[in-house]
Amino acid sequence: MSTIEASPEVGHDDHGHDHDHDHPAFLAHHFDTPEQQFDSGKLGIWLFLVTEVLFFSGMFCAYAIFRALRPEVFEGCSQFLNTKLGAINTGVLLFSSLTMAWAVRCSQLEQHKGLVGTLAATLSCAMIFLGVKSIEYSHKWGMGLLPAGLFAYDPSNPHPTDHPNYLMYICIPFAIALAGVLLWLVVSAGLGNKMHVAMAMPLTVVCLCFFVGVGLGMVLESGDETAEHIDVHADPNGLASAPVMLEAEKAAAAEAAPAIAASGAMVSVDESVLEILAGDASNTGVTSGLNALEQQNAAAGTSTITGDEAVVGAITTTEIDVMTPTTAGVFFSIYYCMTGIHAIHILAGIGVLVWLLVRAVRLDFNRQYFGPVDYVGLYWHLVDLIWIYLFPLLYLIR
Amino acid sequence: MSAGSLPSDSQVRDPGYPTPSENYLTNSKGILSWVFTLDHKRIGVMYLVGVTLAFAIAGLLALLIRLHLFQPDGFVFKGEEANNWYNQVFTLHGAIMVFLFIIPSVPAALGNFLVPVMLGAKDVAFPRLNLCSFYLWVFGALFFVSALCASGLDTGWTFYTPYSTTTNSSVILATSGAFILGFSSIFTGLNFIVTINTMRPPGMTWFRMPLFLWATYATSIIQVLATPVLGITLLLLIAERTMKIGIFDPEYNGDPVTFQHFFWFYSHPAVYIMILPAFGIISDLISVHSHKRIFGYRFIAYSSIAIALLGFLVWGHHMFTAGMSSLTTIIFSALTFTVSVPSAIKVFNWLATMYKGSISLTTPMCYALSFIFLFTIGGLTGLHLGTLATDMHLHDTYFVVAHFHYVMVGGTLVAFLGGVFHWWPKMFGKMYSEFGGRLSAALVFAGFNLTFLPQFVLGSRGMPRRYATYDPEFAFLHQMSTFGSMLLGFGLLVALIVLVKSLRSGKRAPANPWGGATLEWQCTSPPPFYNFERAPSVGDPYDFSDLEWDAEDERYVKVEPKREIVPEEKPEATPVHADDSN
Amino acid sequence: MFAKMNNVFSLLGDQFSGSEWFPQQASTFAKENDDLFFAITWLCVLFFVPIAGCLFYFALKYKKPKGAKAESNTAHNTPLELAWSILPSFFLVAMFVYGAQSYLNRRTVPDGANEVGLRAQMWNWQLDYGNGVINPELHILVDEPTKLAMRSTDVIHSVFIPAFRAKKDVVPGRYNYMWFEADVASEKVSDETLASAVKENGSDEWDYDKWQFTPDGYKFFDLYCTEYCGKNHSIMQSVVVVHETEDDLNAWIKKVSKRPDDGSVSPAEWGKKLYNQRGCKGCHSLDGSKRVGPSFKESYGNMRQLTNGDSVKADAEYIRNSILEPKKQIVAGYQPVMPSYKGQLSEDDIASITAFLETVSDYGRKVGAEDEGGSTTEEPTEKE
Repeated sequence: MSTIEASPEVGHDDHGHDHDHDHPAFLAHHFDTPEQQFDSGKLGIWLFLVTEVLFFSGMFCAYAIFRALRPEVFEGCSQFLNTKLGAINTGVLLFSSLTMAWAVRCSQLEQHKGLVGTLAATLSCAMIFLGVKSIEYSHKWGMGLLPAGLFAYDPSNPHPTDHPNYLMYICIPFAIALAGVLLWLVVSAGLGNKMHVAMAMPLTVVCLCFFVGVGLGMVLESGDETAEHIDVHADPNGLASAPVMLEAEKAAAAEAAPAIAASGAMVSVDESVLEILAGDASNTGVTSGLNALEQQNAAAGTSTITGDEAVVGAITTTEIDVMTPTTAGVFFSIYYCMTGIHAIHILAGIGVLVWLLVRAVRLDFNRQYFGPVDYVGLYWHLVDLIWIYLFPLLYLIR
Repeated sequence: MSAGSLPSDSQVRDPGYPTPSENYLTNSKGILSWVFTLDHKRIGVMYLVGVTLAFAIAGLLALLIRLHLFQPDGFVFKGEEANNWYNQVFTLHGAIMVFLFIIPSVPAALGNFLVPVMLGAKDVAFPRLNLCSFYLWVFGALFFVSALCASGLDTGWTFYTPYSTTTNSSVILATSGAFILGFSSIFTGLNFIVTINTMRPPGMTWFRMPLFLWATYATSIIQVLATPVLGITLLLLIAERTMKIGIFDPEYNGDPVTFQHFFWFYSHPAVYIMILPAFGIISDLISVHSHKRIFGYRFIAYSSIAIALLGFLVWGHHMFTAGMSSLTTIIFSALTFTVSVPSAIKVFNWLATMYKGSISLTTPMCYALSFIFLFTIGGLTGLHLGTLATDMHLHDTYFVVAHFHYVMVGGTLVAFLGGVFHWWPKMFGKMYSEFGGRLSAALVFAGFNLTFLPQFVLGSRGMPRRYATYDPEFAFLHQMSTFGSMLLGFGLLVALIVLVKSLRSGKRAPANPWGGATLEWQCTSPPPFYNFERAPSVGDPYDFSDLEWDAEDERYVKVEPKREIVPEEKPEATPVHADDSN
Repeated sequence: MFAKMNNVFSLLGDQFSGSEWFPQQASTFAKENDDLFFAITWLCVLFFVPIAGCLFYFALKYKKPKGAKAESNTAHNTPLELAWSILPSFFLVAMFVYGAQSYLNRRTVPDGANEVGLRAQMWNWQLDYGNGVINPELHILVDEPTKLAMRSTDVIHSVFIPAFRAKKDVVPGRYNYMWFEADVASEKVSDETLASAVKENGSDEWDYDKWQFTPDGYKFFDLYCTEYCGKNHSIMQSVVVVHETEDDLNAWIKKVSKRPDDGSVSPAEWGKKLYNQRGCKGCHSLDGSKRVGPSFKESYGNMRQLTNGDSVKADAEYIRNSILEPKKQIVAGYQPVMPSYKGQLSEDDIASITAFLETVSDYGRKVGAEDEGGSTTEEPTEKE
């Protein structure tokens, strides 16, 4: 332990019992050696990553289940996602992983400037990611492509203009952060506090990067506008493939219109769901139950169906239901849950990276003590890794 | 040391008593020294107070439930909203008991106090995280309280969709609370795994660890692996309620059975979070109070790990009647039976430990005996439920209610009480009234059986669970159960009084009142804030051969053959070198 | 403590008379189920008695004064431990195999089973006998397999018929099924008993618990909901009647199918019956108290404030719409949770319900009286 020159041997031991006077400042009182402390932290962060993986696994399961139940919905809906933006984000995150790994190496080699630089680069990438993401989100919200309960997409009017400016709302907190950091920079420069300037300068760049991301997203989104139109035209087809397939599946049932009407009337959820559920092998009894029900209703229909009006109404509602919220919404539910929680993890990562940056400027890390950089690096790689899975699952697989 | 029972040709090793400046309870003063403490022992004590409070609230709710069921039409709640009240009461009883009491009781309260001391470490690996997890627990509890104050909660503790997505009660507050408590539980588990892995002093090999640590380790694995899934499930449920994401709600094409799969993937392993630490406590209690080496140490240790892992594979047995495919159902039934084997191993091993021991029927031992009796009934009745054919009849009846209360109250609560009585002298440095303690054990045992044995019969006769009112033919058994619950409540009150009274007027506790050989008995009662001045010498945790009863001071002491001192004169005779002798 | 032990054993001893432990055996599953249950129970006793015996025997036998050393300090005995780990497994395998076989039997519906549709909703059961005949009671034939095709319109419920030892969840968005074969027919009470009970019960809702037979005079088996489904979960009960002959069953179905043509039952009376039987009662009170849905008291003919801000008069048209399309017009302060009754109530049924609603509203009664007098007035009795 005599190799540690940088660390002053402060009497950090607030409990004051007189053992191990050779404890360096960064070594917590209950650890015997820096190695023990590092190993504990490393094991701890790995366990934490395990919990993170399991946390996301719930959503991956949901994705798998619903994709298996309604492949056509997922195929149709994933066309709404802009692959270019997704690819850019993937690249940005991969690059940030590189800078993060570099940062760990810098901290081990005590290259303090390099550490600050690579951390700032990582943070900037995270901000660009969020900027691009905010374009994606606001665009979809504007189109009404929302989770099942809020789904309001109208194929005949894909770009309604009467919605609030979502992008502005997302940008506001980042703008405030930028203003705050700028203020910090100006004040500390004015006071001549070099350390604070050294902290605020990279953070200003980082905050600016969010708007770089927004700009990048806008360019790509608008450059995609023509393709988008084709997309939108293709979309109803893509989406419509769902009802078409369903329609084909239940062609036999559709012949007996009164039967459908009766069951359509009774099944308030909607007929198509049951059809889909009936296709699921694990859902035992559905098929026979459905047949039984239709027979019953066919029988019942003679006495209770009042007029043609009901028949027509029931059929049209069935079609509309397949097109919109209940089925298509599920894809966007899963999309928002997965990417949203991933974005929250990015935000949390930004938080701890800023903390690291501040500590790096304060020259807290050295050859003996670089654990926090290492742990945050592991966390950051995991967040990247999850995106590496999300990108193909949501954007690419058609 | 001229006590008759102590061999005169040996020397005694005993840490004596702590000074107020060493005692972890008194070494720093003021409320802030507790609020911001990083000492695992103080955090453990705060947890103990917290879970006791939660238990008291949930226990009173339980008494309310039993009172209401005294009459077929309901005895307590009357009028239009009676059923609603009943539903809220049983929901909160379940939710508070599960999330606020049973899950944190042994691991967080006793575990926090004991894990580092038993291990011979100075603290857990991450003391700040430890304090953080306590405050998360408090925070989660506040959410539950606010749910209670808002519009109550009436979903049952399982939050089954679609009822939980449509009801008007404050599901979001309660699920947020459970979500936060989940994080508290994850952090505790993570901390213990790291502590046990990296903080063991020299000599503390895996197979020299007390079995309580094995059990805690296995529990922590479950906490870390299962709880995140609960977290995401509850998060999706909240999203389902606020945004209608259509994953669990059939109205938007979701599937309620998927929710059940997600939920039980956590909540079945959670059952083992509740019972595994209890196994650990009982293993130690039985061995210490029989003053005999634990029988089959490795089998017990491995069976804890086996239970932890197998526990992840059996969640489907909560859904035998939900309409899974036949194949899935049968596979889950088969897996369910495999879990019973490691539990059975433990019971046999405990009995073998008692055989030819030297048993002291102290209060902790009475609770341990009561545990084995009750847990065996709880475990055996699980067989009726794991068998598919009989489960078709018994599922969701009072048989299930009785079964899991035998496991969780007869098991975990009784073991928790046993553990508290066992380590109370160590935690607070006071001895309690043995008579009072044994009386409470007897009352709890009698009251518990009277409460829950009739419920097995109620269940097999077809009484469904969660009923606010019931058919008159079930009245007699329900009344028996209600009387039993009063007795049980009284027994628990006696236990509380005995313990609280000891704090005021109890005798000062020696370092080792029971004759335990694990490390926590080698430091003073209560331990100094630094636990051990230097890494303790780690011996066999179940070797009682060198522990002798010192009748004069009413304590067990470690005796060693007198060391040969080469220079004839005594060190005291040469004060110049006194400091070197140490 | 030993008194408690006796208690335990006396309860176990009760097994000799199965009736103490189980309800009547009334289906082909019942005997198999009970035999398996007792087999497992006896096996448990076989394990439990030695365990508990050793527990208390050791505790007393080896109780020693403090400081005494243990007689033995055996650390382990691997063959012994392996033996008690492995041997019980054989019993477990046997339990599993018998349980699974019996379970598969219950899942496999025999060909030609009679089908009855079942719809569960908060908090009542609707059994569908085809041809629009829907009734809360389950009526089946003895010695013939019956299959229930089940669905739920709101939350998860579970059908449980203790006498048949049969249970299955009813999950919204899924179709579950169950089957059973009753082998005991329901007895019928004497006509005098029935007549006096009907007279005493009057026009109130039939009290099954009190009379222990149905309004048609059959003894019944209980049918419970066993999956928690909200406020009135505990009164979500129905009855099962097992008919001796098909003619008997058909006669009953005919009887309940619709309002008698001969006019012996007035529309308002029939409407009240539907109110009690078809699940209205669970959510709509008659005394003005607020339940899941608005109370029927003073609803007919009065203005209703809707969630979308409109107000609408609760006239016959509104009531018809609310029954057929319940989620379209929601009264302010309530959730859109009512299932549609489209296809389940005939026009005559709806008219009967409307007639019944008139009788519980001052406005309705007044209008009714004035109609007889031949004049119509638009009495504004709006209340916001």
